[in-house]
Amino acid sequence: MKNKLSRFAIPYVIWMALFVVAPIIMVVVYAFSSADGGFTLDNFSNMGTYAVVFGRSFKLAFIATVICLAIGYPVSYMMSKEGPGFQRIAMVLIMLPMWINFLLRTYSWMSILENNGLLNQLFRSIGLISLYNRVFGTELQFFPMMNTQGAVVLGMVYNYLPFMILPIYSVIIKLDNSLIEAARDLGANSINVFRRVILPLSFPGILSGITMVFVPSVSTFAISKMLGGGTEMILGDLIEQQFLGGAYNPQLGAAISLVMMVIVVVCMVVMNRFGEGEEQAVML
Amino acid sequence: MKKGNFVFNRVFTVLVFLFLYAPILLLIVFSFNKGNSNIVWSGFSLDWYRKLFSDRLIMQSVYTTLLVSLLATAIATFAGTFAAIGFHALRRRSRNVLTTVNNIPMMNADIVTGVAMCLFFVAFFGLWTDFAVWFNGIQDVIELPTRLTLGFGTLLIAHVSFNIPYVILSVSPKLRQMDKNLVDAAMDLGCTWMQAFWKVILPEIKPGIISGALTAFTMSVDDFIISYFTAGSSSSTLAMTIYGMTKKRVTPEINAISTLLFFTVLLLLVIVNVREARLERLGKQQPAVRRSPTVEKLSAALSTPRGKWVRWGGTASLACIFVAAVALLTGATNAQPVVNVCSWGEYIDESLITQFEEETGIIVNYQTAESNEALYSLLKSGAGDYDVVTPSDYMISQLIEEDMLEELDYSNIPNFQLIDDRFKNLPYDPENKYTVPYAWGTVGIIYNTTMIEEPITSWSAMFDTQYAGNVLMFRNSRDAMATALLYLGYSLNTTDEGELREAFQLLADAKKNGVYQSFVMDEIYQKLEGGNAAIGAYYAGDYLTMLENNEDLAFVVPEEGSNWFMDAMCVLKDAPHKAEAEAWINFIASTDASLANMDYIWYASPNKEALEQYPAYYEEEYDEPLDPEIYEIMAAPAEVLDQCEAYLVLPAETRRLYNTLWTELGI
Repeated sequence: MKNKLSRFAIPYVIWMALFVVAPIIMVVVYAFSSADGGFTLDNFSNMGTYAVVFGRSFKLAFIATVICLAIGYPVSYMMSKEGPGFQRIAMVLIMLPMWINFLLRTYSWMSILENNGLLNQLFRSIGLISLYNRVFGTELQFFPMMNTQGAVVLGMVYNYLPFMILPIYSVIIKLDNSLIEAARDLGANSINVFRRVILPLSFPGILSGITMVFVPSVSTFAISKMLGGGTEMILGDLIEQQFLGGAYNPQLGAAISLVMMVIVVVCMVVMNRFGEGEEQAVML
Repeated sequence: MKKGNFVFNRVFTVLVFLFLYAPILLLIVFSFNKGNSNIVWSGFSLDWYRKLFSDRLIMQSVYTTLLVSLLATAIATFAGTFAAIGFHALRRRSRNVLTTVNNIPMMNADIVTGVAMCLFFVAFFGLWTDFAVWFNGIQDVIELPTRLTLGFGTLLIAHVSFNIPYVILSVSPKLRQMDKNLVDAAMDLGCTWMQAFWKVILPEIKPGIISGALTAFTMSVDDFIISYFTAGSSSSTLAMTIYGMTKKRVTPEINAISTLLFFTVLLLLVIVNVREARLERLGKQQPAVRRSPTVEKLSAALSTPRGKWVRWGGTASLACIFVAAVALLTGATNAQPVVNVCSWGEYIDESLITQFEEETGIIVNYQTAESNEALYSLLKSGAGDYDVVTPSDYMISQLIEEDMLEELDYSNIPNFQLIDDRFKNLPYDPENKYTVPYAWGTVGIIYNTTMIEEPITSWSAMFDTQYAGNVLMFRNSRDAMATALLYLGYSLNTTDEGELREAFQLLADAKKNGVYQSFVMDEIYQKLEGGNAAIGAYYAGDYLTMLENNEDLAFVVPEEGSNWFMDAMCVLKDAPHKAEAEAWINFIASTDASLANMDYIWYASPNKEALEQYPAYYEEEYDEPLDPEIYEIMAAPAEVLDQCEAYLVLPAETRRLYNTLWTELGI
């Protein structure tokens, strides 16, 4: 019986070999070849030049992830405390934005954040900009919000927040209430219940939330191009530029992708290890 | 204290939802706007909804998106469910290995997945061509196609690949929660394992399957990056269409289609949830009636021996429908002649496409690339598989040099006669074997006269710190470097490394000092028209388009001289639709099409008659004479052209230097 069922895995294993593993092998091959096909390490020897881009991407993605967690966790927690009707509506409302393409939502942010955009027009009409100028002695026509790293982080938080909320919520909602009651009975106050019981038990949700926000944030290129103005590239821009953008060099692009992939995977593995240990410690 | 907490919680949640919905609300509101702005409200209208349904480009991409998402979800849900069951039945060690591999697409950045797939497909197509040629050579019973390209098939494969992990992820926990003894018990009671699967496993994991399918569908619809790398030139998802538009102005038609999609999904989710809620309430009252009687009857029918046939019949007919749908789809696209065209954004009067389609019955897949360099990347990587492209002079030389263009059969393009002789046999194609000119113009500086008081006359404005934060620079290496080279007084075509590095340094310093607000291509429309930036270097024709929307803009060809360019249509080597491509080129080169096009894109046509007749055409169309100044900006007179230099193709070594410097500038 067992063995029979395991045969179901065979088609997908073949599929994975073809469309998951083979493409990644292609990236590795490209990363180690020169433009005319020979083996080379040149693509990696210049990687130091791009350290700034790596640093910037990981920094922005990290900030975005932290903000998502800071917003997402309380929201998930509060949602789980509400009645089932409210929860149902809230879930729908969180999933729904994903149905409007993220490029369009990001574009919408452009018209909000532009120098002459909605927010600045609002600030101007309520006199906030002139007030600011009077207080700080500046001569601003507008608050520069577009084309800044802040705008890029905003775009990341905005687009990936649901990916933080959903997994955390789905873990919290399944928490065994008797554990919380037990902790209460044993004399824990609500802060302690949260810190010693709820938080550790929701760790798996937090971990997958972090992964689902951090990975796309590191590698996005549309968001940074639209909100960041393209003057300060992040990894996604750099890779896209080498493949389909203005500086055709797929070998270098593959090498950068490979390095990024390795760093991300190492981060995730370390984090998951750390997470697993934590979980077990609590369970014991 | 408790009360305060509660209020705080609610306020916080409401704020988060406000944050999530503010931009969406904006989109919805402006889909009813009369004007085409996303900022200025000019009255209520349903125009954009009406226009939407006649916009073939958008409707086609909506159709592609829905089709690929539905098919990918169906396949992924089916395959993923079985894979999850298979994984579950494996021994721990092999299961862990496979689960890790399964997680790769989720752990991996989308861009790496997309790039990897693109590289893989292109490599596979290369191998396939060799194989097919060999195979067709040794026998003549079956004729294999020798040329495979990225398209709907690869798009579908990519979507299935990134969807399956989500299905597995949501089915696996349900399998783990399932009591293992259930299956054994069922089999002890005489079930075959097939029956055990249908009657025991499936009902247990159904919620997981449904949520997996939903997630997969949502991911498919929202995906952009992976599609971008795997869809090729013939199919375009809504996300890709939108991405093409976000570079210039997004037409409010997109707002309209998004609003429609949004409310459809909202409605669906509401229905599903109301039903679930009702079922749950019913379930609480009388736990037995969880399934409706019809379902009960159906499952009873399915469990009888005859039911087996019903089941198999059902599965088989579903499979047939699926295959038929795919066949129909590919058949439908094959039946009609097509031509795949790639040009620049805002570079054609789109009614010409419709007109051509009506006249000839050839469907035009019209796509845009961002710059010559980006087009080159698209062609080289195999991601762009076009018939006709419209590169600029220097890029044409490079494509000819690399043997990427097909010689044209000019007997199929009689309208080539109409091209002004001064635009024939230009240096990029000295014997005129490959190209038919499309449009020409000059590069200059566009500035907003309300923001910049003194008239701008020199390229120095592009590097001047007094304009810090207000300048838009080209996002392509050749044009950006040209602004610096011109300012320094060097030739646009210099190969001297010292001069190039000096120009690069000028750009890099200006960037470091915050002169540039952003590096743009067609985003410049939105930024200059809206008064979001004061100065930008761009093309004369596009300036005139912007002028229609913002009268405060001025254009100057700086005193140091500038670049004049010619964009010409050419056919790519081994293009599958060469005859259609030549028909298209001939159509566009005609005087009528040239006039209509000129009127729309504001670039000068190389068609002699059209260029001469344009002022009269304008007067007839708009009942007012064409401002001679505007005509001179569009079709620069000889004394301006004398100051300008055309780009020539650079030697490979210099091109590499350009790429390196350009990448460095971006950092």
